[in-house]
This record gives sequence, C-alpha cells and structure tokens, in this order.
Amino acid sequence: MTTAPSPERTRLTHSLVLLLPAVLFGLLVSVQWRTQAERNELTVRYNTPLLDAAKTLQNEQSALKVTLAELRAQLDQIQTSASTQSDAAKDLQSRIDGLKTVAGLNERSGDGVEIVLDDARGAAAAKDVEKSICHNTDLTDIVNQAWRGGAEAIAINDERIVGSSSIYCVGSTIMVNGTLMSPPFKVLVIGPQNELLATYDDPTQLRDIKQRRDIYGLGFRVSRATGMHLPPYRGALNVRFATPR
Amino acid sequence: MKSNAGVISVTIVALFLGVLAVTQIAAQDVYSRSLQLETPASLTTLIANLSERNNAIKDEILDLRHRTDTAREAIASGKGSLTEAERQLSQLRVFAGMSATSGAGITVRVEGTFDERALSDLVNELRNAGAEAIAVNSVRVGPRSWFGATADRALTVDSVAVRGPWQVRAVGSPEVMYVAMTRTGGIIGQFELIYKGTRFDVSRESALDLPALATPLR
Repeated sequence: MTTAPSPERTRLTHSLVLLLPAVLFGLLVSVQWRTQAERNELTVRYNTPLLDAAKTLQNEQSALKVTLAELRAQLDQIQTSASTQSDAAKDLQSRIDGLKTVAGLNERSGDGVEIVLDDARGAAAAKDVEKSICHNTDLTDIVNQAWRGGAEAIAINDERIVGSSSIYCVGSTIMVNGTLMSPPFKVLVIGPQNELLATYDDPTQLRDIKQRRDIYGLGFRVSRATGMHLPPYRGALNVRFATPR
Repeated sequence: MKSNAGVISVTIVALFLGVLAVTQIAAQDVYSRSLQLETPASLTTLIANLSERNNAIKDEILDLRHRTDTAREAIASGKGSLTEAERQLSQLRVFAGMSATSGAGITVRVEGTFDERALSDLVNELRNAGAEAIAVNSVRVGPRSWFGATADRALTVDSVAVRGPWQVRAVGSPEVMYVAMTRTGGIIGQFELIYKGTRFDVSRESALDLPALATPLR
C-alpha cells in the first residue's frame, strides 16, 4: 500500500527538475553572449580599410608574380636562342639552367612524400587552442626535417621553398614567400621516399608536433606520394646587396 | 493537465539547452583564421610585409624589362648576349649559395644556451627581413640547408658542427634587418625571454665576407 505524495512535495520535485536545466541554460546563454561579444570587438570599424588594403596588396602581388614569370620566360627565350651562336654562350646557358634547377626556379616533378598539417577539429581542440592549431614554426620544423631527409624540392600550398623563402606569422595568418595562407597546409616533398619517411618517423624528431597531434588532435599526416609536380619559385630573387667574390 | 504543462516546459527548456550547447561547441570547435578577425596591429604588420614584397617584385620587373631590351639589342647588333648571361649566372650563384659573397649586412652574436630550432627560426626571420646570403660561423647556409644538434651541445648546419658562441652573419639591407631583429616583441626579444642568461648582440656591418657552400648542390 502506497501513500500519494503531498501537493507541496510534488511542487518541490517539479521545481527541482526545472532548476538544473534553467541554471545550465543561463550559463550557456552567458557563454554564448561573451563569445559573440569578443568577436564583435575584433571586427572593429578600423579593420575594414586595413582589410581592404591587405586584400588589394595580395591581389597586386599575384598579378606582379604573373608579370615577373612572363619576363623571366622572355629573357630565357632570348638567352636560349642566343646560346646557339657560340660554345661560350652554350656553356653559360647550360650552367644557368643547372643553377636554376637546384635553386628552385624551375618546375620539378617526381616522387616523395606529402605532409598534411592542419588545425585540430573537434572537442580536443577546445582544450588548448594554442597547442591545437598550426604555427609557422611547425612548418619551419617540417621543412627543416625534409632537407635533413634528403629532399630535393619542397612546396607548401603551391609556394616553392627556396634559399630566400620565409614562413612568417602575423596574428593567426601565415605567409609563405609573402603569400597569405591558412590551413590545411599541404607540404609536397620530392626526394628519396624511404629516407624521408624514416626521418619523419624518427621519434626523436618533431616531438612537439607529434605530442600535440596525440593529445590535442593537431592534424599531422605523412604519406608516400608519386608523380608530384612542384611549381617554380615565383617571387623576386632579391640580390641587391650581395656580390659574388 | 498540470503535470502535462510541466513536461512541456521541461521539454522546451531542454530543446533550447540542446541548441545552445551545440552552437557553443561549434563555436569552439573550429579556430577561425579569417583575416577579418585580425587585430589592427596585426593587419598593419601584414600590410607592411606585403608592401615590401610587392616593391621587391616591382624592382625586379623593372630590372628584367631593361635587361630583356638590352639583350635583344645586343643580339640584333650581332654582339650576342654573353654579358646578360654572365650577369644572370653571377646572380644565381649568390642566390643558390654557390659563390663566396660580400656585402653590407648584420651580425647576430649568440653566447650561451641556444638550440637548433631557435637557429632555424633566426635564419627564417633573417630571410623574411630580406637577407640575401647567410652564414653561421664559417658555414654558408644554402637553399637546402638544415639545422641539427650534436650530443655535446654543438649545433650543426648540413651535418657540419658549429660551436658557440655563434655568429650568424647576413648580407642584405643593414637597416631593415637590424630593425626586424631588434624591434619590440621581435625575435631577439623573444629569445631573451626564453634563453635567460644567453647574450644576444645585433650589429650593423658595412662589409661582410661569406664563404660559398662547402658542398655544391646537385
């Protein structure tokens, strides 16, 4: 035999059932509002003209690189046709072509490895944003490791890495050879596959990246790749102060 | 009837809760890298960097136009284009680290604890500031150079040990590189915070002599 609960007890139970969701509701509303407020602060009115200027300069750079490539091709054509005139010219042209290839000024095709680096996605990323996103130093470490493994040519998202290349970070934006980029970063490396895979597998190397991949879900994947085509370097050679001895 | 009203209230609250929870998780899930989220200070730095790059490309376009015209004229007049080819060859030899190189620049002296990742970052920063040729102590840094360390705390450049105190010499605009290294919040300032007790000195140099790569690239 059971006794029916008193009306006071029923009301109390109902109130308690509603209390917990209500508190959580309030918490979430406030967190959501704060997130929104922070974003609004970042998109302040002063950013608009700066943003426009940055985009204009980036578009200008793309157009300038096309003009530069066309002029280089024209000069190459003149040189090549002139090199048939004498043995000395032929020899010089052959040395120029060789240097262009090793310096990254010619397109390069071949086998090697592909490395994909990406910001963490999912719940693990929320644990520590700094450790779950890719930084420019991760890319410099990956490039350093590729050269260590015997790489012959490297490109990051279609930007060829050469002697004057820099991987720079401003705020959360990464620039490679002055080109603005965002993740995922695809690093194509032409070189001896087994040596390259071994150098990336070496547990004593890239420890920070591997640890962040395992704990925070940072995207880092290395795989064999065949028949890759790497573009030539398209930026300025920038030899103004240096003279050969 | 009263009981049904309670259930409906709880359901509505739970629905809102679910929607908000999902929205919040989605907001934290993907770290946004949109340019629109950059601060005005970051955008200003970005613009300065893009401007410098574009100016360098414009300079080279002007130079190439002049050289193309000169080479065409030389060939048309029967002189050939050896002068242009020699000029191109010497420029490429500097760019590829294949010739010993001279010029103005800066020296960064590092005395104390330092490691290969920091050396790689320093070289990356110098390149971003327009360094045209770099050497660590007496070892030239080339297009495919890599940095490592030995068990006895020496650093290596392309497997060659370089021992501290290190002198990282870079040929390029002394003013631009000096400011890039020493600016507030710049790489040297960051190193000083990380490598406490290590001494970093940056000096402008009117003439530097850098060796060529020990092993030519193939």
